Amino acid sequence: MAKHYGMVIQIAKCIGCQACTVACKFQNKVPEGQYRTMSPAVGPIGTYPNVSMHFGKEACQMCQNALCVDVCPTKASHYDENGLVMVDADKCVGCRYCLAACPYDARFINKETGAADKYTFCFEERLSKGLQPACVSTCLGGSLSFGDVNDPNSDVAKILGKSKAEFRLSELGTKPRIYYIYDGVVK
Amino acid sequence: MLTPVVIILKICENNLKKLVIFLFGGKGVNRRQFIKRALYGAGGTAVAISGFGALTKAAPKPALATATNEETTVFSSCEMCRNQCPVAVKVVDGKVSKIEGNPNDSGFGGVICARGNSGPSMLYDPQRLKKPMIRTGERGSGKYKEVSWDEAYTYIAEKVKELQQKYGGESVAFASRKGPHDWFFRAIGKGIGSPNIFSHEATCPMTRSVALHSMFGSEAIAADYGNAKYIVSVGRNWLEGIHVAQTRSIMKAIDNGAKIVVLDPRFSVTASKGEWIPIKGATDLAFVMAMANVIIADGTYDKDFIERYTSGFDKWQVEVKDKTPEWAEKETGIPKDTIIRIAREFVKHSPKAILDFGWRTGITPNDYQLRRAIMFVNMMMGNFEVPGGYYHKKYAAVLKKFPEMSSYAKTLGDIYQPAFPKPSTYRIDGTGIKGIPGQLIPEGDGAVSQIPESILTGQPYPIKGWFVHRFNPVISVTESDRIIEALKKLDLLVVCDIYMTDTAMFADVILPECSYLERYDKVFDMSGKTPKYVLRQPAVELVYPDTKPSWQIYKELAVKMGLGHYFPYEDMEEFISRQLAPAGLTLDYMKQKGVWTPEGMKPFYIRANDHTASLDDIVHRTDSKIEFYSEEVEEATKQGIPKYEQYPQPQEGEFRFVQGKVAVHTNAGTANVPVLNELMPENSLWINQESANKLGIREGEDIIISNGKYEHKGKAKVTQGIRPDTVFCYHGFGRISPGLKRAYGKGINGNKLINNVIGEVGNVCTSMSFVTVKKA
Repeated sequence: MAKHYGMVIQIAKCIGCQACTVACKFQNKVPEGQYRTMSPAVGPIGTYPNVSMHFGKEACQMCQNALCVDVCPTKASHYDENGLVMVDADKCVGCRYCLAACPYDARFINKETGAADKYTFCFEERLSKGLQPACVSTCLGGSLSFGDVNDPNSDVAKILGKSKAEFRLSELGTKPRIYYIYDGVVK
Repeated sequence: MLTPVVIILKICENNLKKLVIFLFGGKGVNRRQFIKRALYGAGGTAVAISGFGALTKAAPKPALATATNEETTVFSSCEMCRNQCPVAVKVVDGKVSKIEGNPNDSGFGGVICARGNSGPSMLYDPQRLKKPMIRTGERGSGKYKEVSWDEAYTYIAEKVKELQQKYGGESVAFASRKGPHDWFFRAIGKGIGSPNIFSHEATCPMTRSVALHSMFGSEAIAADYGNAKYIVSVGRNWLEGIHVAQTRSIMKAIDNGAKIVVLDPRFSVTASKGEWIPIKGATDLAFVMAMANVIIADGTYDKDFIERYTSGFDKWQVEVKDKTPEWAEKETGIPKDTIIRIAREFVKHSPKAILDFGWRTGITPNDYQLRRAIMFVNMMMGNFEVPGGYYHKKYAAVLKKFPEMSSYAKTLGDIYQPAFPKPSTYRIDGTGIKGIPGQLIPEGDGAVSQIPESILTGQPYPIKGWFVHRFNPVISVTESDRIIEALKKLDLLVVCDIYMTDTAMFADVILPECSYLERYDKVFDMSGKTPKYVLRQPAVELVYPDTKPSWQIYKELAVKMGLGHYFPYEDMEEFISRQLAPAGLTLDYMKQKGVWTPEGMKPFYIRANDHTASLDDIVHRTDSKIEFYSEEVEEATKQGIPKYEQYPQPQEGEFRFVQGKVAVHTNAGTANVPVLNELMPENSLWINQESANKLGIREGEDIIISNGKYEHKGKAKVTQGIRPDTVFCYHGFGRISPGLKRAYGKGINGNKLINNVIGEVGNVCTSMSFVTVKKA
């Protein structure tokens, strides 16, 4: 079966420490004040003393029906051979259509390159060399897992076999590759 | 193939989807929410996490020039906080490109925290100190001239000589953030005959060290979180006060089904992963005593353990007899049934249960008694030297005593230093004097907040000079303004740091150290359940060529002061090789791996398989018994068994002021580090929604906090996650040094609002101040 890369985020295990946020910045040379990913707090929810809180990882959802790809006039935003959404910075004219189209607000114009930029599973520097994305490899809480969902021996497949995952804005039919698991979390 | 018509339809469909999202918002993420969401607790200081760049396309950079260049890995250790985690530093073209955890260390598994990840941004920060400097204007004016190292050394040597002649060597104090530099830094102090050498520990875990020493005769006791099934935090916050190995162990325990109970007036990230008990401030000892009361009343304590391994339990039994859950409910505000339930759950999961002994302790004046009582409850259940409980660290000297383990014991060598002169008088904090509390203060640490007191009052004798190494008492020690007043009165202040800290800005001489990524340090022993040695080595050449490593700075200064014979080494390669040789290790090996642990050794718990195994080799008290009642504590403080002391609670209109750690910063150390400052440039004051309503204070509003003596401006973070009688801010902000350009003037310096009360064993008291809050 063909590879189907996916990221599984077990929300209950995220401690909001931002190790992923910073690792991504250095790995991908993201300019000052800009981020490909971050794990902001959601909450506290509720009324003292009955409160709860969790962290939500923000990143490109790697849609299989990507609106950003659809609207790109220069084909800079495209699917690579694995079906992952990538941006070819050389083809990007910085028109921002993709920023407007992305329902997850996951894109930005890189201050230094002028091109649209976003989370890529560290394709350029790591995934293409057989390494895990930087955020996954530095995750303190053990919240992040990455791999081939179609491989029953992968971590991601094992986790997805045990827990029910959700996609963000699944009603849009974007078919993301980021699986959110909310087991043990009060939403 | 899509026909043009289909494509047009598809675009229309997509635009319709976008319109729907714009109008009604998505279920998961609203438009621009990605931008607005903030770090937990940043309050009014939300960080934009997406951003818009230039409106026109910039010239593209040369296509990934670094991608084709070779990346090398240098194994070293981090210093973004005090924990010295093993790291793998990625170097491309002589520049550090990224830092990861050292995969050769299974405790870290290649993981490192946000601060560790941000190391390169500190390394290349143009705001670092770059040249030695001597003050030319008023103290605090920021007027300095750049000088050569030789001029700086000469100035210091002459001034110290003057002070020695006029007031004696004891008039010069030395204080550092504890670390491998102390071997070098302290040799200067010891060399001039000063007894007044301090670490930062009194502001951090010193009361815990005192407690452990009083019970076990050793401070080297640790908790095996990863294998525990029930963990109670008494204000401990592993998920924001990050110690990578411990944080990971806590998450591993949770993953394996452990329950976490968190006593904390504030809803910390750790509290969000378990049961939050918003205990009334400064009453933790009542809770712990009631736990003991319940366990004794139930008769469920480990009688065999107590009989076999401990002494003085009978006196503890008497002390907690009337400390019933009903009594504790009145003290702590925690319902008695909750106390009983937690005590019974703790018993049920023992010995794989941990009532945590804390990290940054020193909450109240008698905090050491809280730490003792905590360990009493653990020892009542026999949670010692078994998986999931506490254990003594298994460094070489311990392993040597166990024949089946002795092959794993490889002892590091010492570098011989000639005998230092005996100080001619006692220490200013009474450390080491029998019959007074100073008897309990660890000699290597001392009561650091006594230094400003002695400078200002001249009692018990004057302090005229102060050497500060990689430590920032203006922010780290309570009552900042009093510290500043003291600094202004000094004849000599020498500060060695990498930034123009809030303490450095008052110095006579500033010595710029290079960063941890540019230097060697002494090999350090980080043994836990197995022995472990860790190397720090330079990953790159000096970024600022006129900075130096501390081992070189103090050696060169010593030579100038006529103390060169205390530094019997040429360079650190030689120093480290001499340390490693007796262990049969080499510098080359350490450079290749960064870390050494004995191959094949499994975690060693003395009682894992034999619950009657002797603990004589790790308990160094009378008859090798773990002491509940302590003769030594009785002698020092007349309280051989902890007694409950009721501290005042805030009156109507007042709040107890507490502080804590955030995951993306290290205390007074990182507020100016570019990437971390970008993530969280300032803090704000957490105030309960209901309390804020009464004061008419809204989220993000400017406020003034006052403790009656000092005032501080700040912003309010209105939240449901804190007791109505308590306010909180993260530590390390509100920086006053203009040289910290990013951090300067941003947020609240909590220690400005805490009076300098020195606790019973020399600790600072972080949570005893009350404040009022009003709109600015």
